Amino acid sequence: MIPAQFDYQVPQSLEEAIRLLAQDPDSIKVLAGGHSLIPAMKLRLAQPQLLVDIGRIKSLSYIKEEGDQILIGATTTHYELESSELLKSICPLLPACAKSIGDVQVRNKGTIGGSLAHSDPAGDWPAAALALNAEMVIVGPGLERVVKAADFFVDLLTTDLKPGEILREIRIKKPTGRFCHAYQKVPHPASGFAVVGVAVNLVLNGAGDCEAATIGITGVGTKAYRANGVETALTGRALDAATIEVAAEHACDGVDANSDLYASSEYRCQLARVHTRRAIEAAVATR
Amino acid sequence: MADKYVGRRVKRTEDPRLIKGLAHYVDDIKLPDTLHVAFVRSIYAHARINNVDVSEALNVPGVVAVYTGKDVADKVGPVPCASALPDLKVPDHRVLAKDKVYFVGHPIAAVVATDRYAARDAVDLVMVDYDDLPAVVDVEQAAAGSTVIHESFGDNIAYKMSSGEGDIEAALSSADKVIKQRILHRRLAPIAMEPRGVLARYYPGEEELTVWSSTQIPHLLRTQLALMIGIPENKLRVITPEVGGGFGSKLNVYPEEALLGWISMQLGKPVKWIETRRENIQATIHGRGQVGDIEIACKNDGTLLGLRYNVIADLGAYHQLLTPAIPTLTGLMLSGAYKIPAIQINITACFTNKMATDAYRGAGRPEATYVVERALDLVAAELGVDPAEVRRKNFPAANEFPFHTATGLDYDSGDYEAALNKAQQIVDYKTLREEQKRLRAEGRLIGVGVSTYVEICALGPSQAMPAGGWESATVRIEPTGKVTILTGASPHGQGQETSFAQIAADELGVDLNDVTVIHGDTGVVQYGIGTFGSRATAVGGTAVLVAIQKLKAKASKIAAHILQTDATRLSFEGGKYSLEKAAASAAGASEPVVPVGEAPAAALPEPETNGRTSLTIQEIALAAHLAKELPPDTEPGLSATYFFEPKNFTFPFGTHIVVVEVDRETGDIKFLRYVAVDDCGKVINPMLVDGQLHGGICQSIGQAMYEEVVYDEQGQLVSGTLMDYALPRASHVPNFELDRTETPSPVNPLGIKGVGEAGTIGATPAIVGAIVDALSPFGVKHLDMPIKPETIWKAINTSH
Amino acid sequence: MKVEGVQHIDAPRAKVYQLLVDPVGLSRFIPGCEQLERTGDNTFAATLKAGVGSIKGTFKSTVKLEDLRPNEHFRMVVDGKGAPGFVKGSGDLDLSDEDVGTSVKYSGDIQVGGTIASVGQRMIQATAKMMAVQFFTSLERDAKPSGDTSSAPPPNFFRRALSWISGWLREFFRKR
Ligand SMILES: Cc1cc2nc3c(=O)[nH]c(=O)nc-3n(C[C@H](O)[C@H](O)[C@H](O)COP(=O)(O)OP(=O)(O)OC[C@H]3O[C@@H](n4cnc5c(N)ncnc54)[C@H](O)[C@@H]3O)c2cc1C
Repeated sequence: MIPAQFDYQVPQSLEEAIRLLAQDPDSIKVLAGGHSLIPAMKLRLAQPQLLVDIGRIKSLSYIKEEGDQILIGATTTHYELESSELLKSICPLLPACAKSIGDVQVRNKGTIGGSLAHSDPAGDWPAAALALNAEMVIVGPGLERVVKAADFFVDLLTTDLKPGEILREIRIKKPTGRFCHAYQKVPHPASGFAVVGVAVNLVLNGAGDCEAATIGITGVGTKAYRANGVETALTGRALDAATIEVAAEHACDGVDANSDLYASSEYRCQLARVHTRRAIEAAVATR
Repeated sequence: MADKYVGRRVKRTEDPRLIKGLAHYVDDIKLPDTLHVAFVRSIYAHARINNVDVSEALNVPGVVAVYTGKDVADKVGPVPCASALPDLKVPDHRVLAKDKVYFVGHPIAAVVATDRYAARDAVDLVMVDYDDLPAVVDVEQAAAGSTVIHESFGDNIAYKMSSGEGDIEAALSSADKVIKQRILHRRLAPIAMEPRGVLARYYPGEEELTVWSSTQIPHLLRTQLALMIGIPENKLRVITPEVGGGFGSKLNVYPEEALLGWISMQLGKPVKWIETRRENIQATIHGRGQVGDIEIACKNDGTLLGLRYNVIADLGAYHQLLTPAIPTLTGLMLSGAYKIPAIQINITACFTNKMATDAYRGAGRPEATYVVERALDLVAAELGVDPAEVRRKNFPAANEFPFHTATGLDYDSGDYEAALNKAQQIVDYKTLREEQKRLRAEGRLIGVGVSTYVEICALGPSQAMPAGGWESATVRIEPTGKVTILTGASPHGQGQETSFAQIAADELGVDLNDVTVIHGDTGVVQYGIGTFGSRATAVGGTAVLVAIQKLKAKASKIAAHILQTDATRLSFEGGKYSLEKAAASAAGASEPVVPVGEAPAAALPEPETNGRTSLTIQEIALAAHLAKELPPDTEPGLSATYFFEPKNFTFPFGTHIVVVEVDRETGDIKFLRYVAVDDCGKVINPMLVDGQLHGGICQSIGQAMYEEVVYDEQGQLVSGTLMDYALPRASHVPNFELDRTETPSPVNPLGIKGVGEAGTIGATPAIVGAIVDALSPFGVKHLDMPIKPETIWKAINTSH
Repeated sequence: MKVEGVQHIDAPRAKVYQLLVDPVGLSRFIPGCEQLERTGDNTFAATLKAGVGSIKGTFKSTVKLEDLRPNEHFRMVVDGKGAPGFVKGSGDLDLSDEDVGTSVKYSGDIQVGGTIASVGQRMIQATAKMMAVQFFTSLERDAKPSGDTSSAPPPNFFRRALSWISGWLREFFRKR
């Protein structure tokens, strides 16, 4: 469990980090919380020449409200998100998702930016990011661009980030009106990662009917995805048990589910359907 | 001493240093100039090695040497196997593979460097040229054997053995019912919290080798390493510092231990190797690994008539220390807690291209208990009676002990029904079953599992053991009055420093804090056997007790001499020898028994005592060391050594009752109750006993629901990290409601039976029984472990 | 693990065959192929930088084409070794005409060993899926009638590729 040799630098600013990365974007890696990268390095499955530790750039860690948006700095830790009183009141899906991640040590070190950039097929944040229609603010040498969550996750461990780019901020439109959230997860008994994770974000009208639904599911496919079938089946309907049940049946539509030693693809889909239903029920119950 | 220590929940004296991180494990021992070793291990399950090219590795800065199988073939002797079974095939197990590799993780070369980093870098540069061969993974295919692993043997069968008493054929043919079931005991990884580790230091001048190893058996290891390396045993010292768990996995002699010793002798420097977790999963022994077929014969009234167990045991590629013996232990315990007139086990033990299996907490007995308890559940289901009642019906009664089984054992003592009754009372069994029925009608899947196990402990009489079944203790009182105990039962987390001190403090009437228990250093401690087979307290604790009694016999003589009386006129209490003058003359009845040939005590003249009427044991110790006031022909000093040889095993027992609820949609299992009533004979420290049970039950939950070492079809170990190999965590286990009955064992004077493995033996069948019971509405009669949520979901959805 | 499936390619059989047995084509289809040199008749030495995301390994590989029956059939044997372990695979590819384009029937066996097998269990299947998709995406892109090279694969392409590869993987995991 000893990584191959590597260098380590601590930039003082994001600009410096980008300059450092630009030297050789393929063999230089950004280090945030290190809780995905370091394990891979210890197994020598990743062998970067240089780590650029952005985890110490203070200005990259924040949670704030700005206009109708919530802005989250990329190196904000899971714990900071889990314990944010602000988020608990204005966007409870984020703390709920954060709380489900790993254990206390992991949450103290791991960052939301690292998690999204790593895009582990069983990572929790991608589901929440999709459900909240988050936007990723990406900076590279001389450029800044904004990518929607739906376009950000490309494939297994693959995002829209290009070598040399850094995810700087996550932007979320402040939920308004009668919204309700829930995050429901089946943790793998060994790793704690999501066998299935379902992030639900519903907006209800005055009558309690579903005005809009955005649902992100992780753990099932090679990347997290929006459960469009479920969303459609909820939108415009009264959220009674039957509607929810029928809608949840669409949790895996069009997804070729993973299978591993713990769960076959059939069973994963079953879990996704059941927990989608339960997550919707849990969200509705908060209202 | 007002209160006795024995029987009290004395806090472990080990814990402060462990909790504060001040304990010393092998890796905490730092010697100057230490070189570090990393191993090149096979990535194939079965392959021929054409060549091992170390030239590039040697070029890595800091690399001192690289040793291959060729380099050590005639230098380091084979890895020992201590089980002698008739016609056992024993492969030549060298410390490094030379021509062939037989399992993923098989060590091929050892890289030695000035630091761990260089050593690890160089491992990647050792070029091994392999020709891979078909791997034998499935144990049944191994038995059929088209590919032969050890070519000279002609097949993959290490041995076949049948045993048991009674006419099994008659039992099976005359029975009202014969129930058959195939069951699997998957391979498990012991996963001690501290992986293995070795530090070896050779002093060329003194020609002395010291090996620090995380082992359960320092002395046995010393003997075996001396033979393997070819160093005189009295020039080799094995030190076992703090050991962070073993569960049987460190009851062994591993290639790395011998190799490190040998390398240190070659290089004249200390060398260290600390196992990584991946190595630990690949190259430390596994447990279990049996595929078995049960046939149980019974009458319609539930009376058991016979049990046959045909088993194919997956030994792995090589024999480690006890590998072949483990399935035979299964055979020994097949009678469980029941009267079964005819029992037969037929073992076919096979080589496979995997790591060796060997003793893992319970070592063959969990398999036996699982077989018997599953069989009893199947009988109950077949006859439509309560599983607890089938068990009760077949118990030997408390007055039938010693109880002879058809597996050839004599159970020492027991009251199986008492434990069952107590457990049933605690759960309120009748109400529980009614409640289950009611909830079932509401569609809830509640299951109740019962296991009434018996296990074999306190291993054991030397006749039944490969390398001595006794245990040793030396007790010494130092000039300052401190009590030193040297035990051969080197612990690896059990808390002997506390429990043995409790025994000693009571027996000597001293404060617990004045007793120090020393273990795990062959340079200091007399030869001992070690801690395994739930033996340490029953055998090693007894050795401590008897050694103290020997010491006290001497102390009382010295006391008598100083107090100028006869030893028989002294009483010992509260750590003091006191004259019994008044009592002795007043009450004829309590007059001490005087050995034949000596004058009665009362007839002696009143002694000249300088006014002293008592002496503490510490004062006597000092006098013994100063040696100015000793009786004639008395050796100075105050110490005694005893080697205790037990006459039989002990047989702890108990009842575990588990209540679970299964989620019909997801297959999730929730524990509603976990009640265990265990009888481990006399209890020295209830907290330590509880701790043993907690840990054991957790490992049972692991086996029942989570754990499995998985090799794929090519023999790749694919559950190779703790990200995939699921150990139960605190959040996975319920609150344990523990209680006890206490039936002393007649086998040792303390009445101890042992408790180290009860949890892993008694709990698994109760958990599986509960889950199967929850699923009985779907016609489920048996499920193989690990029963994961998906297993349940499938069972529900296929049996509709 | 067993590999089995049928893949439709929107191009004539001769063209598909020619691309598949051509080192230039192969080097473009095999994901992460950095170098492919002919070392003998239908035998190639390749350097594959395979992996996903930040997890990558370099494999020195041999690729052999055997049993070549032009436009109909061949067998591909890949043997790669690297620090993270080894990947070995062999498969028979059978080509046949369809109403439009070509059907490629594939049947083979893949073995993974070393670190990737022992630690990558939960991702091996997904990685294989991803690579298969990449292989056929590249093949389809090159096989398309010229002038059409820039367009994306047909919309149902990924789904089909995925279901094929997951079929055998499921088979593999079910056996266990
Ligand atoms: C024991 C354990 C249990 C875990 N359980 C869970 C769990 O239940 N759920 C879960 O979701 N996760 C879990 N994780 C993963 C954890 O959440 C990680 O912290 C997270 O996946 C990665 O974040 P990090 O900050 O540690 O990133 P790092 O490990 O530092 O980086 C990960 C990758 O992202 C890149 N990267 C990091 N930050 C940026 C950035 N701002 N811009 C561009 N690239 C960047 C790095 O270069 C690297 O390739 C677990 C981890 C461990 C060790």
